[in-house]
Amino acid sequence: MDFRPLNDTERRQLINALRGNAESDRAILMDRRDTSFLGTTEEVTDEEVISAIKSVPCHY
Amino acid sequence: MLQALVGSATRWLNDLQRSWHRPRPSTLPTTPATSASITYAPLERVLLTDGVGRTLFEEFANHRAEARGEEETGWVLLGLREAREAVVLATLPAGAMRDASVAHVRFNSNAQALASRIVRQADRRLATLGVVHTHPGSLRHPSDGDLRGDGQWVANLRGKEGIFGIGTADGPELASDLFAYQPRPNVQCMRELRFSWYSLRQGDRSYRPLPVDVTIGPDLARSLHEFWDTLERHAERIDRLCRQQSAMRFQVLSDKWGPGLLLTLPLAERGDAVQVLIRPKEVRYYLLRGGELLEVQHHDEWVDRGVYLLLAELATRA
Repeated sequence: MDFRPLNDTERRQLINALRGNAESDRAILMDRRDTSFLGTTEEVTDEEVISAIKSVPCHY
Repeated sequence: MLQALVGSATRWLNDLQRSWHRPRPSTLPTTPATSASITYAPLERVLLTDGVGRTLFEEFANHRAEARGEEETGWVLLGLREAREAVVLATLPAGAMRDASVAHVRFNSNAQALASRIVRQADRRLATLGVVHTHPGSLRHPSDGDLRGDGQWVANLRGKEGIFGIGTADGPELASDLFAYQPRPNVQCMRELRFSWYSLRQGDRSYRPLPVDVTIGPDLARSLHEFWDTLERHAERIDRLCRQQSAMRFQVLSDKWGPGLLLTLPLAERGDAVQVLIRPKEVRYYLLRGGELLEVQHHDEWVDRGVYLLLAELATRA
């Protein structure tokens, strides 16, 4: 079992991912081989998608 | 109205219940690991799944055979925006309630917005990528009018860049056209139909031809197209309900009674839920309580009003 301290970048990414999970229900990705932290998914909010759909201009 | 709230579940209801709650295999692969942030470069190509390609060619051909076939039509495209390319995974049609003529089309965005909620249940990475629309004549390029609108609209998209397809039906119909071919990297042709692909970034003065490739995959919204008219009729009220009840889930059904949309609204007790089954000709309400599915004798055509009346009735009985 390896206990390696996270470097600054990894720590910042993990904190952001945990915050995104707690506040916005965003998934946290885990390496299936060793359960290490892999990042977060590039999720898009409903508001962003629907705002774009609702504002599609008339086409000619 | 609701005195006979709970009827005994009939045999067909039990069958239906079993079919609803049977585990369904996921149609999506597991989500690959991606970086937390993507730097978007100009698009180098658009990748269509074969499902999306079939939808565009088939529905364009069907549209031309309809009474309104001379009008323009179109689709909103959903998919994954990656650093240098985009993968189109779903098409949202303009709808029967579109505003269109031989010279313009404005989509019915209510049904498209609702459909985006349904499709994105499977993958929250799906984003709005662009628009395909058709020209009745032989203009294979977006018009100046398109440029004025799209030039502002792309600011809403990832990478501030959109994908724009133009469908025309001006090609020669060859007997040998058994499959699509690409006379140019940004053009797909099959029989007399042609789709020409472009991209536009914020600030661009003109569209840029965008190479198109095809990969194997679904059109995640295709099952919704079967009852798009029904979606359009209920979209505004379902969307309102969805915004008020964030735990609501959707399931698309297709059985011997035809296509349908099942809404499930969880209740306070674990496993309990209100369910609404929407089919082209009817709206039915069910109560899932203690593992038992009960039909509610309540036939409100307006889904949001029907759900809240039912919740109020349940609250008085609690």
